[in-house]
Amino acid sequence: MTPRPPTLRDKRRYLLARLEPAGTAVDQKELYYVIADAITSLFGDAAAAVMIQAVVAAEGDFVFLRCRRGTERELAIALSTITSLRETRIVLRIIAASGTMESLRERIRTRKSPEPAPAGSEDRIFDQKTVTPVYCNGQKIDVIEKGFKNAHRFFLTTEDLEKS
Amino acid sequence: MKITDAAVFPYPNGDTSVRRLALEAAALGFDSLVAIDTPPGTYGDIEVRSGIIFRDVPVRDIVNRMKRYRGTGTVISVRAGDAGFNRAVIGMKGMHILRGIHGAEKNGFDHVTAKMAADNRVAIDIDLSTLIAMRGNARQKAIARYRDVLVLEERFEFPLTVSTGSGSVLDLRSVRDISGLCSLLDMDIPLVEKALAGVGTVTTPLVPPVRVIS
Repeated sequence: MTPRPPTLRDKRRYLLARLEPAGTAVDQKELYYVIADAITSLFGDAAAAVMIQAVVAAEGDFVFLRCRRGTERELAIALSTITSLRETRIVLRIIAASGTMESLRERIRTRKSPEPAPAGSEDRIFDQKTVTPVYCNGQKIDVIEKGFKNAHRFFLTTEDLEKS
Repeated sequence: MKITDAAVFPYPNGDTSVRRLALEAAALGFDSLVAIDTPPGTYGDIEVRSGIIFRDVPVRDIVNRMKRYRGTGTVISVRAGDAGFNRAVIGMKGMHILRGIHGAEKNGFDHVTAKMAADNRVAIDIDLSTLIAMRGNARQKAIARYRDVLVLEERFEFPLTVSTGSGSVLDLRSVRDISGLCSLLDMDIPLVEKALAGVGTVTTPLVPPVRVIS
């Protein structure tokens, strides 16, 4: 099949989004269906067909999304209504939009990502609960309450842990 | 103009400490937050104001409880009810925000209540958590109710506030996201800016138009 000449191809835009909380495992296909569901629910099938969104890549906490040029705003609005992936609560924070993925990759290189807490990091006490740090990023620290089941994640700062 | 989220629920109501919420809010473009049942403070560049919400409380009890918070700088909100209840609470001194209009009775907020809200400088809250978390019919109803409120706002020009109702950093949305979500309600940028600054509007005492000099 002869490829379509560039002037006749659809113009695309790429969005870079960061997935929170840090360290959430992403399956591209599942994420695609969650986004498609959010778009359809908010704007309907007709608008979804115009957008032609796709999850192009997921690298660490970053996700590359693609849509037709001119529909970035609608895609961004739909992304802001996503609250969960499978049973896990998530949020997608849009960092940038660009015409090429390469320029978005450049953005990732300049950003500091949250780091997993070092192995064997000490348990801490927060509000009389024993918690284990899982992710740190500057002052921000995510902890998991120690328990037999339903491990609950808290979003704190280093100061919160020092004061309790 | 301070860009304010009119209701967040830090730990123990949510899973995020008030400091962390303030840090994240600063990164998302906010200047201040109203934290429910939390003491006021300043964390970095973010001013955290204390807030209280009265839910399912009879009017008489609200009057008594409101006296306790008057003059303390606490942002006082009441969950909307039927038309009579809403008119009664809007007329109370010290009342700042009427929230939960989307869940109130259909005729709970009419043109009379809208006029009273404008005269008493009581803000009507737009709770974006309804647009974010709800799906299908529930979201359609919420959008329809808020659009109806905005028709009355255009006529009577009462204050508006915007809140995310976040109990977690994962519920917070950036100012740009909020602007996008508000566009679903046909709100233009100046109106979104007005709503984001609404907490400052209702908590700032009115300067009387005439100053008496003895």
